[in-house]
Amino acid sequence: MKFFILIFVALLSLNASEIRFEHDFHKALQKADKQNKEVMMMYSAVWCPECNYMKDVVFKDKKVADYIQKHFIVLTLDIQKDKLPKGFEYIGIPTFFFINKNTKLEDKIIGGDRADRFLLKLKALK
Amino acid sequence: MKQIIVFLLIFANILFAFNANDLERLKEDGDCPKCDLSGANLSGMDLTMSDFSGANLKRANFNNTLAHKADFTRANLSGATFVNSNIKGANFTNTILKNVNFSQARIWKGDFTNAKIDSCNFNDSALGSAIFKGNNLTNSTFHGAILYKTIFYKNIIGVPQ
Repeated sequence: MKFFILIFVALLSLNASEIRFEHDFHKALQKADKQNKEVMMMYSAVWCPECNYMKDVVFKDKKVADYIQKHFIVLTLDIQKDKLPKGFEYIGIPTFFFINKNTKLEDKIIGGDRADRFLLKLKALK
Repeated sequence: MKQIIVFLLIFANILFAFNANDLERLKEDGDCPKCDLSGANLSGMDLTMSDFSGANLKRANFNNTLAHKADFTRANLSGATFVNSNIKGANFTNTILKNVNFSQARIWKGDFTNAKIDSCNFNDSALGSAIFKGNNLTNSTFHGAILYKTIFYKNIIGVPQ
């Protein structure tokens, strides 16, 4: 039994830096409010290679994932499939909106980047 | 001596200057196929989906431009600069790309099929899902470039590691 618990704990720690993506605007805001964080809302689409790169590579970078988990609740919305909240204008994807608990837009990052450079951009915001 | 210098300056200006009418055409229509925009400063302009096919764009400055899906097919871009420009989906098929500076440019899904690439700087650029086919990349640099799902066809010489 101890062995299984150890394995379970080890698996949990392996996934510790994996970002959990929210898909509902209001739920993400509630969660952010409870945890005293901001919402990082990403507009993306399945056909967008830059968006896929961010999800597949950058968000899986341990330093980026740790930093994001510490400061943000991540909400991803597909610009073609999901209902987009009003008041968040964009000209291209991926666009990252940083929203406080009062639904106010604090900052915006347009476009993806390499993990190290994206982390610098995040650190400049918070 | 002064006369010679003035003559040389005027001659150089005639030799290297772009066609002012062509620049006006670009600003009005957003397109300029087969134009002479050599040495033109287009930095910061919105050139989304602009048609530059067959144009003379030697030493043109495209730094910080937004030029999604711009068409550069068969254009001559020797010595041009695209530093920090956003040229996602741009078409560079059969273009002449000699000493072009693409550093920090976002060139996702760019198409470089049969472009004559020589001594280009792709450092810190984003080339995800871009297509390279029929090129020689041995003299070009790709330090820090994003090569996520970049397509390098078998006939490429000098695929970046």
